[in-house]
Amino acid sequence: MGYLRRLPRFEYLAPRSVVAVCDALAEYPGEARLLAGGTDLILQMRRREVAPRYIIGLKGLSELAFIRPQENGGVTIGAMTTVRTIESSPLIRERYGLLCRTAAEMGSPEIRQSATIGGNLAGALPCADFPPALITLGAQVKLKSQQGERLLPLEEFFLGPEQTVVGPSDLVTEIQLPAPSPLSDGAYVKFHDRHAMDMTTTGVSAFVTLDQERRRFCDVKIALASSAPTPLRAKNAEAALRGQAFTEKAVEKAAALACQEAQPRSSWRASRDLRLELIKSLTKRAIRQAWEKAKAPPDGGRP
Amino acid sequence: MPRRARWPGREHRLAIETMQEHSIIGRPVPKKDAWLKATGEAKYADDHSLPGMLYGKLLRSPHPHARILHIDTSKAERLPGVRAVATGKDFPGIKYGNLPQTRDYLPLALEKVRYIGDEVAAVAAIDEDMAEEALDLIQVEYEILPAVFDPEEAMQPGAPQLHDHAPDNISSQSAFHFGDADRGFADSDLIQEDIFETQPVKQGMLEPHACIGLWDNTGKITLWASKQSPYVVWRQLAMGLGIEPGKIRLVQTYIGGGFSGGKQEAMPMDFCAVLLSKKSGRPVKFVHTMDEVLTIGHLRHPIKIWLKTGIKKDGTLLAQHCKIIANGGAYSSIGQLSMYIPGAMLNLPYRLPNVKYEAYRIYTNNGFCGAMRGHTLPQICFARDSQLDIIAAKLGVDPIEIRLKNAAQPGEVTPNGFRLTTFGFTECLQRVVEASQWREKHGKLPRYRGIGIGCGSLVSGARLMGHSSSTAEIKVQEDGTVLLVTGSTDVGQGADTVLSMIAAEVLGVQLDDVRFAMVDTDITPVDPGTFSSRVTFWTGNAVKLAAEDARRQLAEIAAQKLEANPEDLIFRDRQVYLRQQPQRGLSFGELVRLAEYRLGRIIMGKGSYTSGEELIDFRTGYGNMSPAYTPSACVVEVEVDPETGQVTVTGIWGAHDCGFPLNPMLVRGQVLGASVMCIGQALYENLIRTQGKVMNPSFRDYKMPLATDVPKLANVEHINIITRDPSGPFGAKEAGEGAATGVIAAVANAVYHATGVRIKSLPISPGKVLFGLKEMQGKGNKPANLVKG
Ligand SMILES: Cc1cc2nc3c(=O)[nH]c(=O)nc-3n(C[C@H](O)[C@H](O)[C@H](O)COP(=O)(O)OP(=O)(O)OC[C@H]3O[C@@H](n4cnc5c(N)ncnc54)[C@H](O)[C@@H]3O)c2cc1C
Repeated sequence: MGYLRRLPRFEYLAPRSVVAVCDALAEYPGEARLLAGGTDLILQMRRREVAPRYIIGLKGLSELAFIRPQENGGVTIGAMTTVRTIESSPLIRERYGLLCRTAAEMGSPEIRQSATIGGNLAGALPCADFPPALITLGAQVKLKSQQGERLLPLEEFFLGPEQTVVGPSDLVTEIQLPAPSPLSDGAYVKFHDRHAMDMTTTGVSAFVTLDQERRRFCDVKIALASSAPTPLRAKNAEAALRGQAFTEKAVEKAAALACQEAQPRSSWRASRDLRLELIKSLTKRAIRQAWEKAKAPPDGGRP
Repeated sequence: MPRRARWPGREHRLAIETMQEHSIIGRPVPKKDAWLKATGEAKYADDHSLPGMLYGKLLRSPHPHARILHIDTSKAERLPGVRAVATGKDFPGIKYGNLPQTRDYLPLALEKVRYIGDEVAAVAAIDEDMAEEALDLIQVEYEILPAVFDPEEAMQPGAPQLHDHAPDNISSQSAFHFGDADRGFADSDLIQEDIFETQPVKQGMLEPHACIGLWDNTGKITLWASKQSPYVVWRQLAMGLGIEPGKIRLVQTYIGGGFSGGKQEAMPMDFCAVLLSKKSGRPVKFVHTMDEVLTIGHLRHPIKIWLKTGIKKDGTLLAQHCKIIANGGAYSSIGQLSMYIPGAMLNLPYRLPNVKYEAYRIYTNNGFCGAMRGHTLPQICFARDSQLDIIAAKLGVDPIEIRLKNAAQPGEVTPNGFRLTTFGFTECLQRVVEASQWREKHGKLPRYRGIGIGCGSLVSGARLMGHSSSTAEIKVQEDGTVLLVTGSTDVGQGADTVLSMIAAEVLGVQLDDVRFAMVDTDITPVDPGTFSSRVTFWTGNAVKLAAEDARRQLAEIAAQKLEANPEDLIFRDRQVYLRQQPQRGLSFGELVRLAEYRLGRIIMGKGSYTSGEELIDFRTGYGNMSPAYTPSACVVEVEVDPETGQVTVTGIWGAHDCGFPLNPMLVRGQVLGASVMCIGQALYENLIRTQGKVMNPSFRDYKMPLATDVPKLANVEHINIITRDPSGPFGAKEAGEGAATGVIAAVANAVYHATGVRIKSLPISPGKVLFGLKEMQGKGNKPANLVKG
């Protein structure tokens, strides 16, 4: 039964390095769970949905809390970076406004202070907000274990609700973002019942790159939250816009395609029909907003 | 939005009048304990601890309906750290509850469990972890029984039966007919019939239930607990334990919100705390988690309301026939009263000569329902005032005009015998129309913006079938301070402040000179409790009488000393002096010392208030339920997002006749709080249950409105209509509940005005709005009122 209870018994391990985390994971395969901000995991444990024997605390790993510019113009974000740090990083704001705005609208200040980007991805809740935004930004994820490192596109990371490619002895170490191309920007538009502090019923991220004349979509990426068992790329919708001029008709068509691609389910939170309606509305809004932002000069409007 | 101030002169005059007439009453002063609460100094039940105290936890049923075949607690008892375990068999098996015919609670389940969350066993251990671990070791063998969750299914022959005493699962019913409804319908030009449905809603008080029980070895029982109606708990505890109330002492702690979320009754945790204390010889503390609070009950009743109204072409209401079926859940709580109220107040604040009413409260295998701020009136007002707008649209009458036409007036007696003393409803309507700029907005706002009105009414304390009177005692102390003792509690509504203001006003001392005592049943006078907006009116009157009693004693002594008539004395600003010669007098403290030291007179004042002996049988319902009634009117403005169905409340303007605002700051706080609560029910809140299991038992998923969901303060206005009720203390009436009763209908009517979509079931969720809009577009974009016909 899902009552919120006291935490179950577990043994707490506090490794000091990534290597030590990998060793601990290898020592207790399947029996250990990584604890980042705990905003999801602690609740799951108190509801007895998971009861790991070992908890490996990542809080002490300063080597995983960073936002680092790369020589290629991209940025690497450590898995233990909090949502708050991402939201307030000048570097992120400058290069990835989409990510900054997405972070700023998650949970409450208290939640953002604890919640990490690694936990948001590895938790793989269908309603998580970072995955669609990061997928449209072309993010890659780095995993590490005693066996070595793997780097894969975020799109290939999710397998199902709360399921990812992260194996029992893997640790997510960082998220890599490619250099932003000029004349590009994005928008993540989500819906929830309340105006703030609520679980995302459905969310749509659109990231667009314009042609030199700022008339056509040169490239478009669209990804959806809470619209399928995993975060979903709406590839048909993207293809329909690529090379097109910005018109309401083109936007409508893309939104209709996104609805066809989505496979939302009915739950007590929202019906499938409502989610489909929302995907349509939010896809249009996301594309429009992304277009407007990409069209504006890079530092336009900012003080 | 610019605010037009038509009435500043009037309000200003009033303020000046008030200041001349009273020195304390009528001033907007902050709540006495505001700083204690803001700094975290106030000690709530969970902040207390006693030496050697144990921690208790309850084992709850995982099944909606099951027979208990066997409970084996031996393993739990053997767990180190566990000091005592209890099951239903440890209690005498006496059912307790509110009204004699609906007593169906047990401290712990005996033969059956009736909902997911029903309490089955309890443990006390040296810490909470141990106690929880012990719960896992209690083995309960259940025989699962078929369960029923829908009230209409539960009424069918052959449906699973919850209680032996209640055939067809009827937990309580009410039926009455006043006037001649058939005649009224026959004379009507238009008859409108609709079905409305409301959802289960929780109080959402921030302090969960908590208590500490001690059963000492002299047989004396003490319970420290967060209880809004401590004497109800005191009696129920005695009832369920099979002992005299005199053996029990109940001490109230600070209360973090009440709203009748359970703090008005004895709960299994209270029984288990004292019983486990008896078994272990140690004090035992219980604190519920918010999950438990949201699961167990005392919900606002979800009700299906069938309402038929007959009306003349000119908009005069002639008759209403209303049938309701309420999903009561597994137990009764105060359900019999819950069923009487919607019928008894179906009409108010309107004039309605003919009323027919039938109510059924049905047992189902869900968490149980009871009272919640406004009791069952927000639901019925939602239905009635929504329907009134449907009717107005059909008749082509303005929604305000139809309400003005039918507004009940002071001096009238309703068909069921309610005597309206003061009743400023017409003025409520006029003022709220002004404040909201209704005439400039109604029918004139841009698409997807709308404005709507809703009205309601409330009692100033209900006469119950049991004990109804209130008592206060005042002890004047040698330093000129005053100890005020009542049986009423401050649940955050401001009783501590308002009752103290009344005493301070009468005795001519400062508000800070009055200390307001919390309830301790060994010391304070018995009181029915804090519910039904009765404290200011009933206890307030008792406090006034007690203070006058003390003043009379002091005046006699002062008169001797000053060689004057007691009637010529003024008590004000800590001084007692002659009206005609203010220089002749003495200080209040001096006077008390004179009385105590020289004359050996201890100054203690006593006052009791009751409002007649008339009793109402809630099943058949004739009689005047309350000494005074308050009307209110509320206008809400909304904006609807046609692509997501999201409704945003952008403005709310309310007018409410509270008789006279003893403390306008507290009145405003109450009114706004109650309005936000009803915005919550209108748009967001819904305790979702699937096969009896609560799906959203947390404040993340049970969505109470946040600051971002309510209008900006600039678009919020509350207007006090002053009528000075002759029997209220300093003219005051109810202010904690009534102002919100019309809010839900106002939201629904505003959504209709914005979109043409008429939503008859709560909450007004994005899905309902969105699909309503689509359905209308499918029908060629005509407004709903023309399509449905
Ligand atoms: C009130 C409230 C509001 C919320 N609002 C939002 C919101 O608006 N948007 C949103 O997206 N989410 C929201 N959440 C969910 C939650 O805060 C986020 O998902 C958060 O980012 C999770 O991160 P964390 O650090 O707390 O993860 P944790 O709870 O510590 O971990 C989550 C999961 O990820 C695993 N994990 C963590 N780090 C790693 C790693 N480095 N490698 C491998 N596995 C790892 C853990 O083992 C666990 O299974 C909300 C939660 C609450 C309680």
